[in-house]
Amino acid sequence: MFGIKFLLIGLLSMYSLAVCSADKLTLITYSEVPFAAQAGNTKQGLVIEFIDALFKQAGLEYEILFFPLKRGMSMAESSVNTCVLPIERNQHREVHYTWIGPVMVSRYGIFSASPSQPPLVSLNDAKFASIGSFLGSGIGEYLTQFGYQVDLTNNDTLNVKKLQRGRIDFWAADLVSAKAIMRDNDIHFGEPKIVFFTSIRAMACHIDLPMATQKRLNDALQALYKSGYMAQLHQKYGLSL
Amino acid sequence: MKLSLLKKFKLCPPIFGVIISLSAQAQINTPAPKISQVIDHKLTSVADNTAIPKWIIQELQPSTLSSDEQQQELQWFKSQAEPFAGLTIRVVSEHIDTHVYESEVLAKAFYDLTGIHVIHELTGEDDVIKKLSAQMVTGLNLYDAYINDSDLVGSHFRSGAITTISELLTFKSGQYTLPTLDLNDFIGLQFTRDPFGVIYQLPDQQFANLYWYRSDWFENPSYKAQFKQQYGYELGVPQNWQAYEDIARFFSDDINTIEGVRVYGHMDYAAIDPSLGWRISDAWLSMAGVGDAGLPNGLPVDEWGIRVENCHPVGASVSRGGALNSPAAVYALEKYVDWLEYAPDEAKSLTFSEAGKWLATGKIAQQIFWYSAFVGDLTQPNLPVVDDQGIPKWKVAPSPVGKYWQKGMKSGYQDAGSWTFLKNTPKDRQIAAWLYAQFLVSKSVSLKKTLVGFTPIRLSDLESDVMTKKSPYLGGLVEFYRSNARNVWTPTGSNVPDYPNMAGFWWLYVSKIVDGTYSPKQGLDAFAARVDAHLAQLEQTMVNSQCAPKMNPIKDESFWLSQPGSPKPLNQQVIKGQTLPYEEAIRVWN
Repeated sequence: MFGIKFLLIGLLSMYSLAVCSADKLTLITYSEVPFAAQAGNTKQGLVIEFIDALFKQAGLEYEILFFPLKRGMSMAESSVNTCVLPIERNQHREVHYTWIGPVMVSRYGIFSASPSQPPLVSLNDAKFASIGSFLGSGIGEYLTQFGYQVDLTNNDTLNVKKLQRGRIDFWAADLVSAKAIMRDNDIHFGEPKIVFFTSIRAMACHIDLPMATQKRLNDALQALYKSGYMAQLHQKYGLSL
Repeated sequence: MKLSLLKKFKLCPPIFGVIISLSAQAQINTPAPKISQVIDHKLTSVADNTAIPKWIIQELQPSTLSSDEQQQELQWFKSQAEPFAGLTIRVVSEHIDTHVYESEVLAKAFYDLTGIHVIHELTGEDDVIKKLSAQMVTGLNLYDAYINDSDLVGSHFRSGAITTISELLTFKSGQYTLPTLDLNDFIGLQFTRDPFGVIYQLPDQQFANLYWYRSDWFENPSYKAQFKQQYGYELGVPQNWQAYEDIARFFSDDINTIEGVRVYGHMDYAAIDPSLGWRISDAWLSMAGVGDAGLPNGLPVDEWGIRVENCHPVGASVSRGGALNSPAAVYALEKYVDWLEYAPDEAKSLTFSEAGKWLATGKIAQQIFWYSAFVGDLTQPNLPVVDDQGIPKWKVAPSPVGKYWQKGMKSGYQDAGSWTFLKNTPKDRQIAAWLYAQFLVSKSVSLKKTLVGFTPIRLSDLESDVMTKKSPYLGGLVEFYRSNARNVWTPTGSNVPDYPNMAGFWWLYVSKIVDGTYSPKQGLDAFAARVDAHLAQLEQTMVNSQCAPKMNPIKDESFWLSQPGSPKPLNQQVIKGQTLPYEEAIRVWN
């Protein structure tokens, strides 16, 4: 009898643990000013505010962890109830995750250290140049796939220095974060030579995210767009097209 | 710019010229005048004959237009675009040769001609669809126009979010409509209309799914004799799936190697990727004979297995009158999976863009259907599939059909990448993009574009002497497009009410059938149930849309399977393989 009680208690504990972990999502983001940054226990940025609003709207619990992008993507691919954001959604990545989005829209530009460098008419004009990007970046993957010479760093800030020192010809970066990185490093390359790509960024979750959770999050996101919240949030962080 | 950098970029003279001229401009992103200013602007006539840059004229050869006509047409663009000069617009399309040419060469030509700077972005077709959907959801002006497959026409006309081509043609009394646009010359316009005849999209490029085979191997007397001895009929263009299967086995197992190289009787692709879904939804089910007779798509059941009644989708599963999990669909998926054993091992890990070029290796005898957008990749000199004279050792022909297929049904798939405009685009930007769209499909441009990407859109190009001379080098592509077959190979039709979301179900379930998680029957049952659930959801949310889903009640499958047409009952008939010589096989195109 004692054995059966023990077994029941054990099963119940395992069940409640499973339910709790199923309800609470682990959200992984990465440092990318001004979208997400962590100083001590304080997390801030567009992504942090967005997550809070989305999960309140959906009535779901979450925790946010900071990891490098590449690692975050791998964790969301291998661990259930785990998501990573903001991720550039593209055809190559489509089948590896369940997607909630669009979360953000980013424009990407090509920056040059040389003020005399004239604007480029098309991306193809940079076909034989070296272009800096960072590991895990969708734009880096995009340029590589199209045959461009892409030089990858661990984080985007390093590209600013590389461009300044002439180790790369161009730097391909999201316009808003490029502005913030240049400001933080007191370097100013001016306007991009071409704005060549628009990316839809989304939250990429483990492929087996329950359909009910997926629906709650997508419905909540729709509500945030309809209420005007998303437009206000984007505007607050200088994301206007 | 450092000179070394210039050299590194290998800028061609016209590009260099453009960059130099750009440097003299203050900003290429200068906002264009608003549409109100445009309306007030008295547009000069075509008679304003300022010079067209010489490199553009040289680039756009040949053309079906005379030199004077081409000059006049280009002048029209120059003058009509005047109010928009300095504007930067964004368009996006999938990544195939035709669009690469547009993005890298024609966008520059348009810029030099008009001063409108076009960022013509290339990406995967699935990304194009996601971006189009995102613009609808967010309301943000992400792009000013999309080149989007006409497979979405069913979504577009129900969405209420599209500025139709019919509207653009008549905007401001047709002020921005190219006088020589000649809509009747477009071969794919019937694919881009809604059930009521309104034109939603304008074709920019078209390619078809055709049977591909090594004509040199098929004409080899030794192989012919061996095949006849083993299978009891002539080696030729297969007319049914049994013949295709026999030929696949013959080359993969019986012949096995040619001149020391391992050869295969079948090629396909099956990587988990959105393109896996398109492989099946585009053509496998239609060729098997899943749907009903009717063009461009079966009525009342189309090749997605969706039944419509008075333009309302009513279900995809057999229990609701659809055919997505019908015996014909199961048969199609069984053959798709079984035949992978005749393909190279790599096939299971290839996607659409990777597999299309695989035939160039010279190891494949036949492919049940192959996207003709890759003609350019298989006609390059020095390939194992091209002879010393530049003549392909391969041909395209009508694809063989499955045992559920009947006369009057579509015979294959045709992709019609088409200009699509969203209502939430600012009007001045939309009109500038409309001008660019018309430039890319104009008679000044279209023949040259056809020769670069082999994705014809105009009858006048197809009937030109230039294409007659080119035809021996294209393996039968010209013969296909000059025949009535171009109307029988059709895209996904207007029955599919939410292509962006429903397309994702295909690869999800088909991949689980390929990897053995589900049998074809189990996978299709689950898939059909998912499609029905989605249609039922749309029935709730599309309340104000015309032709919204109205779900049929669930009935016993035997009810629907005993009705005439699709869904068709199990066909256990054993079919004998049948082949025809190439000349006879292509007669069905006339």
